[in-house]
Amino acid sequence: MFQAVSARLAQTLLVLLIVSAASFAFLKLAPGDPVSIMLGSDYSQASYDKLTHELGLDQPIVLQYGRWLADFVRGDWGTSYITNQDIFELAVLQALPVTLTLAALSLLIALVVGIPTGVLAALYRNSWIDVLATTLAIGGNAFPSFYLGIILIWLFGVDLGWFPVLGFVAPWEDFWQGLWHLVLPAVTLGAWYVGLIARITRSSLLEVLGQPYILAAKARGEPGWRVVWVHGMRNVLMPLVTVIGLQLGGMLRGAVMTEVVFALPGLGMMVTTAVLNREYIVVQAGIMLTGLLFVAVNLAVDQTYQFLDPRLRRR
Amino acid sequence: MDCAVALTPQAADMPASPPPLLEVRDFSLRRGQAVVLDGVNLALHPGETLGLIGESGAGKSTLALALIGLLRAPEVQLQGSLRFRGTELTQLREADYRRLRGNKIGLIFQDATAALNPCFTVGEQIAEPLKRHLGLSKWDRRDRAAALMQSVGIPEPRLRLDAYPHELSGGMQQRVMIAVALACNPELLLADEPTSALDVTIQAQIMELILDRVRALNSSAVFVLHDLALGAQVCDRIAVMYAGQIVEEGPSDRVLAAPLHPYTRGLKSCVVELGSRMLEPIPGQVPPLNAMPAGCRFAPRCPKAKAICSEQRPLAEIHDGRQVACWFID
Amino acid sequence: MSEAMNIAPLARGSQWKQRFLQPLLRQRSAMAGLAILAIYVVAAVCAPWLATHDPTAQDLMAALQGPSAAHWLGTDSYGQDLYSRLLYGAQLALIIGFASVALGLVVGVAIGLAAGLMGGRTEWVLMRIVDGLLAFPELILAMAFMAVLGLGTENVVYALALSFVGPFARMTRGDVLQVKNQPYIEAARLMGVGTAAVIWRHVLPNVVSPILVQAGMRISIAILLESGLSFLGIGVVPPTPDWGLMIAEGRAFITMAPWISGVPGVALAILLVALNLLGDGLRDAFDPTTQKDA
Repeated sequence: MFQAVSARLAQTLLVLLIVSAASFAFLKLAPGDPVSIMLGSDYSQASYDKLTHELGLDQPIVLQYGRWLADFVRGDWGTSYITNQDIFELAVLQALPVTLTLAALSLLIALVVGIPTGVLAALYRNSWIDVLATTLAIGGNAFPSFYLGIILIWLFGVDLGWFPVLGFVAPWEDFWQGLWHLVLPAVTLGAWYVGLIARITRSSLLEVLGQPYILAAKARGEPGWRVVWVHGMRNVLMPLVTVIGLQLGGMLRGAVMTEVVFALPGLGMMVTTAVLNREYIVVQAGIMLTGLLFVAVNLAVDQTYQFLDPRLRRR
Repeated sequence: MDCAVALTPQAADMPASPPPLLEVRDFSLRRGQAVVLDGVNLALHPGETLGLIGESGAGKSTLALALIGLLRAPEVQLQGSLRFRGTELTQLREADYRRLRGNKIGLIFQDATAALNPCFTVGEQIAEPLKRHLGLSKWDRRDRAAALMQSVGIPEPRLRLDAYPHELSGGMQQRVMIAVALACNPELLLADEPTSALDVTIQAQIMELILDRVRALNSSAVFVLHDLALGAQVCDRIAVMYAGQIVEEGPSDRVLAAPLHPYTRGLKSCVVELGSRMLEPIPGQVPPLNAMPAGCRFAPRCPKAKAICSEQRPLAEIHDGRQVACWFID
Repeated sequence: MSEAMNIAPLARGSQWKQRFLQPLLRQRSAMAGLAILAIYVVAAVCAPWLATHDPTAQDLMAALQGPSAAHWLGTDSYGQDLYSRLLYGAQLALIIGFASVALGLVVGVAIGLAAGLMGGRTEWVLMRIVDGLLAFPELILAMAFMAVLGLGTENVVYALALSFVGPFARMTRGDVLQVKNQPYIEAARLMGVGTAAVIWRHVLPNVVSPILVQAGMRISIAILLESGLSFLGIGVVPPTPDWGLMIAEGRAFITMAPWISGVPGVALAILLVALNLLGDGLRDAFDPTTQKDA
């Protein structure tokens, strides 16, 4: 057991190292010379060399990486040239919570809609419900979220005026107002996930319902709803979590688009703005943070497996 | 601590001829065009054990599933009658049938590994019918589940309650399955090849255990088996099935000693006995369900078949205390 | 597309038919996807003849017009003809989609082959690079590459291709490792067949179909990412007729001229649905590891 955990730990550390190296490499590859950018248009060679030395840019690349990593771990991520804001504060304390809230709410919507749809489609296989669910699943999965967001803003924001169109109110400051502002973005992002969750629920449940233990549960006198929702769905959770974890990339892709469409100050908005402003140090922070998020979610999914499937637990 | 013996109707006041616990009359089951069970007649009295014997595909397991109500319309079409304790099962509402399943009728599956839900502890699975049918409280369920595990020979039941099925051996899993089926002291136990997925070394143990428990609870049991000799050894009566029909049914000793139907004889001669005469396989194969012969379904393979056999179906006749479906009973 | 197909050394027609065409033909939804894709391809190829206007010709007098005889699908805020832009947009989307996947596939397969066949330190280093690529979501990766490379159509292709290298490399390496230890590869080597010939004749045919399935499914992601990048303003630059740009432009006029974003938006959605149907069909037909519900 100890061996398995330490192997896993070593592997995670290696990936973290690779993530940080890639983020560091990005800044080195980015066009423009940070020293001349910081000095402005008018400077002497002497002041250029001085700043280069102060920033440690004349040192070997490995040392530079080490220093950068140490700064990063300490939370010293630099300052934005444009807003003069501390980047750690901007990325971790301001943008990250917005993206996480949006993602969590979308996932919740997707689960609440997707699972029952998938179950109905499995139970009434080849009926109109199944056809409808499958169509919605494929459509929702393919529909570009940025265009869906625009349509939702038009219909429910502008035309009907039910929801606020743009902007973000933190739910941890004003819960209901915050939720209100997040409804349309979360539906936009969730629509993409609904189809996926409905599809995987349907196919996994169909497989599970064919298993002898389902027949055995019925033979014990368990009512139909319990057979499906307890005995069946308990075994569907594994593939469901797998897919949710695997599709995190898609989730983040949608989150970036959704944030930009709805002007939410999340990670996606931050990175997009930074790319447009050529503020590579902020882009780098965004890259590093999404990389870390990826690693963290993968670890979490692994842990969830052990929790969900007793066969994977160590005795 | 042992389970209380259930009071079955016949124990209280026994009339001269007790009504059968289970009565199957002209029972047929069709799946689309295929007639899977055809005109089955059976009676099982309280405390009796019956063996359903036949090759795979003979419809034995289908009959067991139909008895516990897991094969019903609209999935399949039923005809004829299934009476359990005087209740007509084929007409029973699903909610009422559910009250019988796992309560008055228990079912032991062939492969316990597949029939136990991998995501729930064995304690939870044994306790489920206790909650559903007996309405026991959480702590009573735990006590009762542990007692049941003890009664089926699982050592240290208190520790095993929270084990998951994969943590137990195949034999232990089958013992759990038996405990689940017997949890509510059923009056009728159905056992579908309860030992064929197990190692040979523990098959006899498990069979013995089931018989012990059935006798202790004074229940009746239907065993689905493919081994004629085992069936005759274990059961009071045996019914030999072929292609969805019962070809011979009667007291075990007499059926085994002097089989009347040619198919039963064929089955008997298939039993390998060391040092005895040569193995005689039955020639040919079971006809497919969608191409059954009009007359006797065994006719194409029967050594004694005459013209009438392939034209008209032989009706079961009572002969020497057993029912035999053959035109040429000698 | 031709680049992707040339990887397959399945020159003989009958074999190709048997392995790829027949299983696909059995699936109705995949065929529907293929039919829709075919319409898009025809529209893209024939865009110069089908278009009624120059897709980048501005006519501010005719701006923000609804569908009419002069402008079949209306005009945008610069008076550009939406119908013509739609056709050229299809061309751009398909070219970027196919080209980026093909490029990513070639590079990824090469890395995967090199890693799988050479082993040792080369493999370790290559696979750590691949790990680095796979540690980020595609869009973030593509955005980072766009930041490094700068805007423009060509750079979109490179950025997307680079973000696809990881999955192809990992898949190829896995397949190669599986095939490498098969007895018939050993036998071919013992018989003195050169390494290149072994790869070409024995390794590639075995890894080609899962990789092509993957490629098919990636194309829809590529087109989605491409239009997404352009929508964000970090992809193709105006006035290039690009659906993502068109949707971004129409966003400001959604209440008064919904057709500006609607025309490219619906076109994009239909194309993505078609590609997804086709991709699912490909996967079901060739990937034995995915379970099918009967």
